[in-house]
Amino acid sequence: MRSRIYTIISGHFKSWYRSKSSIFWTIAFPLLLIVLFGAIFGSGSTKFDLYLQNQDLSANTPTYFSQGYITVLNNTGAFNLHVVPAEQPDPLTYVKNDAQLHNRGQRLLVIPLGFNATVMSGKNATIQLYMDQSDQASASLAGIVHSVTVSYAAAIAKAPNHLILQQVGIVTKNIRYIDFFIPGVIGMTLLTTGVFGAVNTNGSYRELKIIKKLATTPLSKIEWILGMVGYQMILATISLVVILFFGYAIFGVTATIDIYTVGLVVAASLLFPGIGMVLANFVKEAESADAAANAITFPMMFLGGTFWPRETLPDIMKIIANFMPLTYVNDGLRYALIYAEPAQALTNTLIALGLASFFIVLGSVLMNWKEE
Amino acid sequence: MSDNLPASLPGQSDRVVQVDKLSKKYGDNVAVNDISFNLTKGEVFAFLGPNGAGKTTTVEILECLRNPTGGRARVLGYDVSKRSDQAQIRKRIGVLPQDFNAIDRLTVRENINYFGAMFKHQLDADKLIELVDLKDKRDEQFKKLSGGLKQRVGLAVSLVNDPDVVFLDEPTTGLDPRARRDVWGVIERLKSQGKTVFLTTHYMDEAEYLADIVSIIDHGQIIASGTPDQLIDTHGGKKTLIIRDAGEEGLKQLPQGLPKAELRNAGDIAIPLHNGELTNILMSLAQTPLHDKEIEVRRPTLDDVFLNLTGRRVSEEGN
Ligand SMILES: Nc1ncnc2c1ncn2[C@@H]1O[C@H](COP(=O)(O)OP(=O)(O)OP(=O)(O)O)[C@@H](O)[C@H]1O
Ligand SMILES: [Mg+2]
Repeated sequence: MRSRIYTIISGHFKSWYRSKSSIFWTIAFPLLLIVLFGAIFGSGSTKFDLYLQNQDLSANTPTYFSQGYITVLNNTGAFNLHVVPAEQPDPLTYVKNDAQLHNRGQRLLVIPLGFNATVMSGKNATIQLYMDQSDQASASLAGIVHSVTVSYAAAIAKAPNHLILQQVGIVTKNIRYIDFFIPGVIGMTLLTTGVFGAVNTNGSYRELKIIKKLATTPLSKIEWILGMVGYQMILATISLVVILFFGYAIFGVTATIDIYTVGLVVAASLLFPGIGMVLANFVKEAESADAAANAITFPMMFLGGTFWPRETLPDIMKIIANFMPLTYVNDGLRYALIYAEPAQALTNTLIALGLASFFIVLGSVLMNWKEE
Repeated sequence: MSDNLPASLPGQSDRVVQVDKLSKKYGDNVAVNDISFNLTKGEVFAFLGPNGAGKTTTVEILECLRNPTGGRARVLGYDVSKRSDQAQIRKRIGVLPQDFNAIDRLTVRENINYFGAMFKHQLDADKLIELVDLKDKRDEQFKKLSGGLKQRVGLAVSLVNDPDVVFLDEPTTGLDPRARRDVWGVIERLKSQGKTVFLTTHYMDEAEYLADIVSIIDHGQIIASGTPDQLIDTHGGKKTLIIRDAGEEGLKQLPQGLPKAELRNAGDIAIPLHNGELTNILMSLAQTPLHDKEIEVRRPTLDDVFLNLTGRRVSEEGN
């Protein structure tokens, strides 16, 4: 005797891979989005992003020599300079957050307090450049900053060694838009396959009397639901692997698959079909159930941080986004796959798992197995 | 009509289905109203009635899909209202729900195995495919089949656990005459294998052709039960002599002294026959121009039974 749950999983799976439109929505469509959005937002300016903190202020205005140095740096045309306020006590953390938000490289140049005075006194002055050695732009960027420094020193003191550029290595993850987008596309795909999968399968199987027929066999409602969830897990795993592979092959996105990723895939495969089942229960007619599924998934996609960072949303939307289950799946996937931040990944995974248990239980309780 | 035999040991009974004063109300709507009947092992039982009569409601109570609001029902000796008994019933019944479709993108064979896997033991898929005559289609996806073939897949699926009783809810509704005949053929095969079959239908000819016992249900109540012959003898009325295509003209040409004739179906003359009158009538007809017409004697059918009992006829669509 083959297990009933296995039979249900394999039935769903066969129906899936034999349907061109299912394959399109779960595989081809996400890849298409990646190429599209990658092309639109991926290639930013060719200038290097460089954060700059000038600590050498006097009465809130930059000192003479520090300002001169910045002007020369700017005149090279090689940099997009982003100013870090001088009063920022932890410029590195500031840069990290701001760079992620705007998808910039994390590099910081610090002109220390007393720079002007040191130069005037004829002593050697130091400028610090914080940069990740693994940053692909690091070599050329450091090269340009170095030559700017040398020529500036030569100009002001006729002594090229007068200014010292001290390079400090930092570990960053240089987050490009595409790195941000790939986990979002995964989250979106899990969302749509889960919600629509549950709404459509349960709807059409009910209409075709397949559920009624199954209810006259020894199969239980729980087994049926487990079968559906198992199928969703397989689909979610396929989506994840295909999208990550594609992201790596085309855009060089490197991701780490860890325990949190697994937890999130499990959570998503319970959460989104659970939401779909709750929906299908309230909206009985197949067509309106489909409309309801659209009405739920679209706002989630746009506000849940699929296409752009939630930090860029208006405040009220940020609050709404906090109530969207997709938010936690998306954030969790980003922290787990791309940012490699286990603590954050864990928090989001736990929230997602909590929401998942809630919705799958609610959906199961609400689903009529027998009487219509 | 209800006989109050004590319930025999579960699973051991020759009384495959026992229904006693069963009722089902949906709010104020009484869908099934105090019905009683029994179904004996090896019998083909037809539950005959128009749309909305309460057929599906009754069948689904027996399949443990709905709860009765009154009365009792046993299937294979088990009580349909007891949870622990329901599990036993589910193992041993075969069900073809009304308007059932199998899974579109699975093949005939895969569908049979899919539903078969829900049971502990399943019959060999190929044998079932042979039984319903779908050998050339067994690797075809369900959605590509015609209506008649789909219904035969449904039949195979309903037999997959080698059930002790099969419930077929309107298995031929919406099929063309040819496809209906094919489904009848399958049901006849089941009958010859000694299977107990509970069939619902609104087709009078179907019940007459297939059933050992017919119960006619209307507005939730059983209005007559018996073998088709018994029903026809009791409620069918007289045999009729039909003279085809005779028209108004023919009516005038009829000899004197015949029972009152009427015109039916655009031009057929129908003359009710009393016992022993046939020879006389034929001899008197031989003297008229009508002797050239096509003449036949029609036995009453279940249509006439239903008409006589309710004053209505049931249309092709079941209304
Ligand atoms: N779930 C339900 N809720 C409320 N009323 C129902 C429900 N199911 C059936 N009914 C009503 O009960 C009556 C009997 O319906 P049922 O489906 O049993 O008839 P049927 O003989 O199977 O008809 P058909 O030939 O159309 O299948 C009808 O009046 C129907 O409207
Ligand atoms: Mg019905």
